[in-house]
Amino acid sequence: MLHDLIIRPFESGYMQRALIEVVLLGVLGGIVGVHVMMRKMAFVTEVVQHTVFPGIAIAFAFGHSLLLGALCAGALSMVLLTVGTRRSAIDSDSFMALLIATFFAFGVIVVSRQRSFQSDLTALLFGRILTVDRQEIVDTIIVGAISVIVLWALHKELVMRAFDPAYTGALGYRIDVIDLVLNLVVMLIVVAAVRAVGTVLVVAFIVTPAAAARLVFRRVRTMMVASALGAAVCGWIGLIVIFHGSIDHGWRVAAGSTIVLVFTLAFVIVWAASAVFARRGRGSGSAASVEAAS
Amino acid sequence: MKTLVDSFHTAIFRRAVFEAVLIGAIAGIVGVHVALRRLPFFVVAMSHATFPGVVIASVAGFSLFVGGTGFGLLVVALVLVLGARRALDDSSVIGVVLAGSFALGVLILSARPGSSTDLSAFLVGSVLTVTSGDIITTIAVGAIVLAVLSLLHKEIVFGAFDRVGAGALGYRTWVLDGVVLVAVTITMAAAVPAVGTLLAVALLTVPAMTARLWTDRIRPTMALAATFGALSGFVGLCVSAIWAVAAGGAIALTAGVCFVISLAATTSRSALQRRHAGVAGFGAA
Amino acid sequence: MSSSIALVLDHVTAAYEREPVLTGINGSLRSGGSLALIGPNGAGKSTLIKAILGLVPVVSGSIEVLGTTPVKARRSVAYVPQADTLDADFPVTVLQVVLMGRYRQIGWVRRPDRANRDAAMRALSEVGLADRAADRFGLLSGGQRQRVLLARAVAQEARLLLLDEPFNGVDTTTTEALLSVLDRLRATGVAVVMSTHDLSVAHLACDDACLLNKHQVAFGPIDESLTSELLKATYGGSALLLAGGATIVAG
Repeated sequence: MLHDLIIRPFESGYMQRALIEVVLLGVLGGIVGVHVMMRKMAFVTEVVQHTVFPGIAIAFAFGHSLLLGALCAGALSMVLLTVGTRRSAIDSDSFMALLIATFFAFGVIVVSRQRSFQSDLTALLFGRILTVDRQEIVDTIIVGAISVIVLWALHKELVMRAFDPAYTGALGYRIDVIDLVLNLVVMLIVVAAVRAVGTVLVVAFIVTPAAAARLVFRRVRTMMVASALGAAVCGWIGLIVIFHGSIDHGWRVAAGSTIVLVFTLAFVIVWAASAVFARRGRGSGSAASVEAAS
Repeated sequence: MKTLVDSFHTAIFRRAVFEAVLIGAIAGIVGVHVALRRLPFFVVAMSHATFPGVVIASVAGFSLFVGGTGFGLLVVALVLVLGARRALDDSSVIGVVLAGSFALGVLILSARPGSSTDLSAFLVGSVLTVTSGDIITTIAVGAIVLAVLSLLHKEIVFGAFDRVGAGALGYRTWVLDGVVLVAVTITMAAAVPAVGTLLAVALLTVPAMTARLWTDRIRPTMALAATFGALSGFVGLCVSAIWAVAAGGAIALTAGVCFVISLAATTSRSALQRRHAGVAGFGAA
Repeated sequence: MSSSIALVLDHVTAAYEREPVLTGINGSLRSGGSLALIGPNGAGKSTLIKAILGLVPVVSGSIEVLGTTPVKARRSVAYVPQADTLDADFPVTVLQVVLMGRYRQIGWVRRPDRANRDAAMRALSEVGLADRAADRFGLLSGGQRQRVLLARAVAQEARLLLLDEPFNGVDTTTTEALLSVLDRLRATGVAVVMSTHDLSVAHLACDDACLLNKHQVAFGPIDESLTSELLKATYGGSALLLAGGATIVAG
């Protein structure tokens, strides 16, 4: 029974590859997500996932590597973002919305020149986790290794910059360089994930697990471990749901969306549980403080 | 150019132009409030959050506008509830909710055969297939939203400028916030037939930013933003007719091009003024 | 009129989310009087101001403003925030900011008429900035912005003024302008409450002082309140007693 539920889905090669990819992306997204949350830069992630789209679209239209296209577009948007937000006349949130709108619109125009516009658009927007091949897994491992090494090496500087930018600048660190590095790491992970889960759902891999971990844990490193493990487990559960749903029950389900919804469901459960605990904690806490005051 | 002239001879194209210009102007004006309250991320989030509502409406067979608005407002409430916990900042909560609701929309849609046509229409619009009903909805939404925003103009601006000060004077600032959020949500839902949920972001943010480059006053900003929005709708549709590209994408990209041109123009203008001021002496500065 | 009571604080405990942040505030202020709220950062000065505005709940005790509850008195109470808490990029003119003080009189939907504009311009001339009326608020210096916010309170024709650190980081011109406007307002019976950690300005501007650090240390005439012992009790270890009885505090 348990074997049927958990092991059988992963007997075929494509499900094994999907599992490896989802677990890798979950771990990477979970780790970088904690940085994204500390810096309140969920919006930047949103920008990246939309701005890599035209790169993917162009690469797709001309038959180049999607990874290369996404990397170029992503790097261009990160540079524009860093330069554009330095000009104080433009509010950075507005500028990010501008980047999302124009890059995405350009991508749509490129895809619309293709004959199979609608199905191509769908594939690029929502990814194809079940057709991940060996090369994509290797790409993900390389990108992931680079990202994790950079985050590990700059860990204390990144945390300090998130906590107190003025002090970090006063110590002589170049804030804009630190920011650019983190933006580029986010971009790398988005690019790695984009072929599997598509351009509009990547943000869930980065923001949702980290937000859930933040509700439970208070230390940065425990948050990272919890968020990475949680994301990997949820990705695995998502694949099991997809397999049994489509093979056993014949549901037509979108794979990337199902995994993201498992993430969201897990977040809601953690949120509700922590709200209940917090209420109990606060109840006893305020009783204690009233005693102390009187 | 021949194709463009031919296009204008068809009723479908003229109707599309009317819809695109109208929604461009309305979204341009509402977009000024988005910029004043620093809500662009909210707009991006709503563009994903209205999507499942549109899908559900299409599956269940009722008005896309009603579905988009209803689900959008539900998501606003959800963000407010989840964000009430101090541990999480608003942008993380918005990120979680927008990804989750978008995934829900895709999942519902994917369960239906032939879904990819509908999907792309909802996401990036299909302005050439707008109906008279869509246009009437747009006119009604525009009239109501603009009437409310102009009647409450001074209070809404005060609340955006100085929240605590407005609260101190006895204004319920959450009501003022709510009015703007609802206006943004229903404008977005009204824009879905023309430019789709994802590209409505362009019309609700970019024309207002462009207008703001030219002036420091709010009312002139609104007039300019409406002009830039309408212009984007018109030029975008012409571009799409000439080169046979997606209309929604062309409209959004035109709005972006207007911004870039305005940025270049205003930057060189202020550089020129600075040089003249420098010649005249520093006294005036 | 000048002998009536503008503000009564009756054993007030104020709280954010049921966590009491300020307890035992007890005292009163007459019309035309002025009260300095003195204490280190995080002592609860801003919380007390927001409680007087009815924006922070009072969990025990009571606050009476102009003979009624804080919420009912709001239109007659003017709040002056710190200028640097406001968005400098916001596209409003100086005159528009001052007019905001009259929005409650103008009412919903209606737009400011000539009489309101004249009142706003008078308030602006009083702080010496009439010539900047058409400029964008964010183009002014920090001190000038603080004066504009005071002009907004003047235009509101309030009976009680609440100022949050009005002298923080402003130039001497602004300090003098603020002091003279406050003096004139007080002569017409307006009561003034200001939070500050500048003891010399507090001495110049105020008759009474409330020393607080999470709870009330002293409340009374400023000369009797600003003593070395009481300041030490308020500021703890960060008060430095000098020879001759002068006290320096790091707030």
